Amino acid sequence: MIAPRSVSDWAQGNRWIWSALAVLISWALLSAVTDRFSIASLSGILLSASFLTVVGVGQMFVVAAGRGNIDLSIASVVTLSAYVALLTVRGQDANLGWGVLAALGLGLAVGAFNAALVVGLRVPAIIATLATGYVLATATLLSNRAIHGFAVSPALKEIAAGRVFGAPIMMLLCLALVAASELVLRFTAFGKTLSAVGQNHVAARLAGIRVSRVVVATFVISSVLASLMGLVLGAYVGGAFLEMGQAYFLQSVAAVVVGGTLIFGGYATAIGVFCASVLLILIVTLMQIMQLPPGSQDMVQGVVVIVVLALAGREALQRRASRAQAEGPAEGRDAG
Amino acid sequence: MVSDRRIVSRTADEASELAPLACLVELKDITKAFGPTLANANIDFAVNRSDVIGLVGGNGAGKSTLMRILCGITPPTVGRIAFDGVEEPFAAYDTGAAQRRGVRMVHQELSLCANLSVAENFFIEAPEHARTRPGWRRIYRAAARAALDAVFPGNGIDVDSIVDRLSIGERQMVEIARATATPSVRLIVLDEPTSSLDMERSRQLRDYIRTRSRSGLSFIFISHKLQEIVDVASRVVVLRNGRVAWQGAVAQSSVSRLVELMGGDAGAAHHRFERAASAEEEVARIGGRFVVGPEISLRRGEIIGLAGLEGHGQKDLLRAIFESAPKARDGVSRLEAASYVSGDRQKEGVFPLWSVLANIAIGRVARRSALGFVLDKNEAIAATPSAQRLRLDAERFRSRILELSGGNQQKVLLSRAVAADTPIILLDDPTRGVDIATKQDFYRLCGELAREGRTLIWHTTEDAELLACNRVLVLANGRIVRELSGPSLTEEAIVAASFSHLGAAREQRGGPQRKGQSQSLRRLVDAAPFIGLALVLAIMTVANPSVASVFGVDLLLMPALSLVLVTEAQMFVVGGSEIDLGVGAFAGLISVLSATWLYDRPWAGAAAIIAALIAYASIGAIIQLRKIPAIVVTLGASFIWAGIGYSIQPTPGGASPDWLTALTNWSLGADVPTSVVLIAVAASIGVLLDRAPLGVALRGFGGNPAAMAASGWPPLRFALIRYFIAGLFSAAAGLSLTAINASSDINSGNSYTLLSVAAVVMGGCALAGGIVSPVGAVIGAVTLALIGALLGALGVSSDFNAAAQGLVLIALLAMRSVADRRNET
Repeated sequence: MIAPRSVSDWAQGNRWIWSALAVLISWALLSAVTDRFSIASLSGILLSASFLTVVGVGQMFVVAAGRGNIDLSIASVVTLSAYVALLTVRGQDANLGWGVLAALGLGLAVGAFNAALVVGLRVPAIIATLATGYVLATATLLSNRAIHGFAVSPALKEIAAGRVFGAPIMMLLCLALVAASELVLRFTAFGKTLSAVGQNHVAARLAGIRVSRVVVATFVISSVLASLMGLVLGAYVGGAFLEMGQAYFLQSVAAVVVGGTLIFGGYATAIGVFCASVLLILIVTLMQIMQLPPGSQDMVQGVVVIVVLALAGREALQRRASRAQAEGPAEGRDAG
Repeated sequence: MVSDRRIVSRTADEASELAPLACLVELKDITKAFGPTLANANIDFAVNRSDVIGLVGGNGAGKSTLMRILCGITPPTVGRIAFDGVEEPFAAYDTGAAQRRGVRMVHQELSLCANLSVAENFFIEAPEHARTRPGWRRIYRAAARAALDAVFPGNGIDVDSIVDRLSIGERQMVEIARATATPSVRLIVLDEPTSSLDMERSRQLRDYIRTRSRSGLSFIFISHKLQEIVDVASRVVVLRNGRVAWQGAVAQSSVSRLVELMGGDAGAAHHRFERAASAEEEVARIGGRFVVGPEISLRRGEIIGLAGLEGHGQKDLLRAIFESAPKARDGVSRLEAASYVSGDRQKEGVFPLWSVLANIAIGRVARRSALGFVLDKNEAIAATPSAQRLRLDAERFRSRILELSGGNQQKVLLSRAVAADTPIILLDDPTRGVDIATKQDFYRLCGELAREGRTLIWHTTEDAELLACNRVLVLANGRIVRELSGPSLTEEAIVAASFSHLGAAREQRGGPQRKGQSQSLRRLVDAAPFIGLALVLAIMTVANPSVASVFGVDLLLMPALSLVLVTEAQMFVVGGSEIDLGVGAFAGLISVLSATWLYDRPWAGAAAIIAALIAYASIGAIIQLRKIPAIVVTLGASFIWAGIGYSIQPTPGGASPDWLTALTNWSLGADVPTSVVLIAVAASIGVLLDRAPLGVALRGFGGNPAAMAASGWPPLRFALIRYFIAGLFSAAAGLSLTAINASSDINSGNSYTLLSVAAVVMGGCALAGGIVSPVGAVIGAVTLALIGALLGALGVSSDFNAAAQGLVLIALLAMRSVADRRNET
């Protein structure tokens, strides 16, 4: 809430800068070392990163509320939504409205269900979203039997793979989402209260924030975004298949953490999610170009997540230490 | 062990006869400053052998600080300490040193591991007698029994009962008994030991203190119940404003004299707030469980103090007012908006990532609609006046809140309430540990706010602040017992009212019947996995009688073995209040290693598996060292395990080593299903580990890591051990996968990760950690593994397998959540 006093202060408030720098540096290195990176490959990378960003932003909202909240149902929602799209749109542009409505309905229902478990029954988010994922897996299997074919509506295909002036439409939509999310985080009461809840939920409640509402909203946002993304991803891959969302299980968390959102909650950045998504896709693409076996891609992604967390953990530790120091004088309150 | 100590104490007895006034410990010239506040000032304090010192003083007199110094928790600013006449440097005097010197403290906030049994808590305190062999608990059971019976005859506490299921009073008894049973203890500090004990137990404790003190043990007895002090103490020390106000033999004191000596805080006195003229309009009403008499009405412009001894319901009342609405809830109705200023700044006040102004502005922002536009610059401008009213230094408006001193942080919190502009402001002991200048600013602003027509409800532990209020409500045992105002509002009246209702025991919450009800619900929840498995088996047998044959059972249960092993791995991690999302992938990796390298080159394979185990354990170390969430780290690790496995074996294949196949391919005879034997063996290993001293320590860490560390247990070592054990079980699961499938597939373990979490939860382990039930978890795993077969037997498509597993998990969690909530109320 303050004008920057110094560069380091500015970086504190804009933690996405590190992932952005990492993207630029790796891009520069890759262009210098290989000759296979071109504008064309860049737009391919950006397109893949856009899909990841959409679910990553949803995950970011959930994580920002703190208390170890995480949404593990995202992958299942993506897959199911792609099937629901096949069932509702049936390759006809005329049915697209129904498809969008169905996707929205699915997202709202799943988000509300997750939120009810977490807020209402006080089930830890990881277990609640995990259980939801199971139920969705069955729904996916049933849909898989019900579909008649893999017809994709041309309009949806255009959104998924089309271009405007050379820029992928999906990327433009994704950038709009990132911009909107960043604005919500920085310039609305919701963004401020979300940050407060993530930092200290007891203090948030005592400051008059309706904590439950904020947490419910994060789960709904996450599911709706995953659902909409599944709709478009289905069109992109030309249908749906059972494991299509699986890749987003870890990647959605990785994009959040690498992007600079604090895993303990309290600070979130949508720009960071986007930059981190590009970085992650860049790494995967690079490994494909180097023809490394797919196993090593998994390994590298896992290592990146752990290393980034371990480094961010240091900062959290320092924060805790300074908090303990500040607590020093307050110890007097125990006197008596 | 017990008889040994008797011998020791007898010799001590003889020694004390020789030198009756031998000085045990002496604190000299102790001063402790917190910023500008002196919690202790030039205190001389000596404890002789056989002394029972009654330590009294009002809230904030410095008793706790002095005891923390004595026990090595806090070092003094200046001062000296001497044991048996030999001086010791404070630099080297910590809790460990105090314990070696025989000083034990029973804290007001209980420091037991609530998830362990009474006997196990005795083990945590004195682990040196434990041996890893069956029956090791017997020593501690006997010690606990003996100690409890020695202090509280006829207590009826089951030493095998989990501490969490004891009443508050029983827990207090266990804690006291544990301190008395510590080998080589010489001085026991009892901080409000009788706050939850009834008259009879309190008398027993005092009898015990008298007996033990005669044999040379010394006690310091801190209590607000002055009649107990007069009864049990041999000497009394009265503290007041951090200084010794009086000390002498108990014969020279009486309850009324002690009350007088504890007296008022003349130094910080200030005049009473003016009462606003418009003080008729009602803003809130208190009734129901908070009053003994008629409803109490709170009016606009009033400053109302909440008094009473610490922990007698002042905070509950404030929270009830904050959470109530115009329609009465819990007997309290609030007609106007309220904001809350907590004195526990770190836990309930500040937002550590934000600047001072942002911390103030949130008070306004919180009350706006979600998509309302907020511009930091405007908010900062709007927040500035309320910050200025408290004389906050304008240069610091933009600093991070944590860079401010405690007193200034407190100003920020009050400014937040001012910025929120609510008609009611609730103050929860806001001036604790705050220096005098800040207090003055605080008082001035409070007066102004009341004159503007706001109502302040002020819980404070400082008598002087109470005297400044327009009206004071005195609470005892959670109810308002006196209402004081005008000339009747005096220090003596407040003290008298606070003490007046303390004769009897403090009421236990919830009647016995209610407790019985929630107990039976809990028992049902505990038995759910067993009932579930029995149901599943019964239905399957009815649907297809051949299930009940040895062959049928083997066919069904052999695949469950791997899930059982993964579940046990997960159980040990969950016991430490963490979740491992990498167990399944790790089992897959070990399966791949065993079907490829171990098959082709046994030595290289074995080395690789050991290396993998070490890597797995080190994940636990990273989590502990960096304090980062286990879920995400292990999720990352799962991709590493899968990646390695995939690189070694891109497509399913390999072969199982003969010896490994032989492990699952034997028979005890035609009547015994091998799978059941294997699962039973796996379960027994889990049970034995969990019941061993090591398992108890691991559960202790899951339940109360702070208490474990305070008793001298190293957290890092146990994090490594925990993950190493989990790795071993997960590796066993991997080997079983290879043996059962006669080949390996890196993805074969994936589905087990989430199922294992579900099984652990179903089995009755608490995700919050510390509560582990190996048999329940194994039963849960078998049930989940059978759900597919059950659906098949019922003719339901296997598509519903996952949903059935998920719904079972949700149903169980819902049941447990309801049971927990019943227990709370």
